[in-house]
Amino acid sequence: MNPFDEHPRGALHAYLDGELSLEGSLEVEAHLASCSSCRQQLETFRALRRLLQSAKSAAPEADLALMRVTRNVRARRRRVFAVGGVGALAAAALVALVLVRGSAGVVQEVATAHARALDSGRSVELASDDPATLERWLSARLPESVPPTAGGDGFALRGARVDSLDGRRVATVVYQVRNHLVDVFAWPSAEKDMEPRPTVAGRWTVCRWSHRGVAYWMVSDAGTEDLKALATLIKDRRT
Amino acid sequence: MGVEDESREFERFARPHAAAALRLARTLVRNEADAQDVLQDSFLRAFRHFRGFSGDSPRAWLLSIVRNVSFTLWRKRERDEPGEAEPTLEAEPDPAPSAEARLLEACDAGEVHAALDRLPGLHREVLVLREMEECSYREIADILGVPIGTVMSRLSRARAQLVKELVGDPRSKN
Repeated sequence: MNPFDEHPRGALHAYLDGELSLEGSLEVEAHLASCSSCRQQLETFRALRRLLQSAKSAAPEADLALMRVTRNVRARRRRVFAVGGVGALAAAALVALVLVRGSAGVVQEVATAHARALDSGRSVELASDDPATLERWLSARLPESVPPTAGGDGFALRGARVDSLDGRRVATVVYQVRNHLVDVFAWPSAEKDMEPRPTVAGRWTVCRWSHRGVAYWMVSDAGTEDLKALATLIKDRRT
Repeated sequence: MGVEDESREFERFARPHAAAALRLARTLVRNEADAQDVLQDSFLRAFRHFRGFSGDSPRAWLLSIVRNVSFTLWRKRERDEPGEAEPTLEAEPDPAPSAEARLLEACDAGEVHAALDRLPGLHREVLVLREMEECSYREIADILGVPIGTVMSRLSRARAQLVKELVGDPRSKN
């Protein structure tokens, strides 16, 4: 006796998909033996399967997307470990810093450089708290580099990188105060001495000064007092 | 364990299923840029939670995330620009005699994708999961969050409808 009163509809698909028990498969096969309509159906769905499999596209981009995510995760974790989530503020800086009075172009570049470094997870290219090591590294990459100042007074020297700023390659020295990173950009300049005056722009603080032939820019999410203290530290050590 | 090790482990966990994830995303959102966004978002979510994963099939788990992310995006699009109605499922047509098989043999990949695009999303995804990714009914049920019986009936309707899209409805032909 045929176990199917009618055609085995769903079971035919389950049969095709190898989802039936041995017993179930035998029942379907018994029906197929006596039903040309179901045999044709099965043939059609097998042809459909071959067609769909041949149309399956390669997706090499998927691997790249995976790598992008894990790379970002690694970068972000390193950053969070170092500074406690400063990166989220990076985009705000771009908008906010344009509002700072004077040297708007440079201010924006400073902020961009800071944001780029945070977003890429590479706040420093060379991590070191030794000014001499950093100076050797910087002088090998820049025609004229400014010797980094050692950390102190609550500011830890974290390392350095090279940025492009105001049309030139400049040394960026990175300090950390509590859980804030501070980027200090410095390059030789002929402009006359200028006192550090930190300005708050949105949630970011920028500070510019000049001292004995060196122009400095600083950007951080630390407060104005912190930036002023670091500027003073850098000035005082250049004697 | 450091994040370095953790993310490498996640790469090993997810890479075998990355292409399937992208194909499913493409099936569900129909737009390459959105598909890439869905994929990236899905990997990120998966990374956050894969330590707690204890199921049988990493693939089913990953694909269910892709599906959720796609639907979130889809709902957001609907809010932003209402238009495309929730796909409705058609009743299963009566079995049609073959010769269809031969007509299907003559179709090319472009026609297949065009025909898939004309199907409701629920039919598209079940076909892609079964025929391209070769997921088991159990895996598909886990991914879709429906009983196995629903997988089977949906699959049978989806196949019948795709055949109809590809070779036409024989009953309407002269």
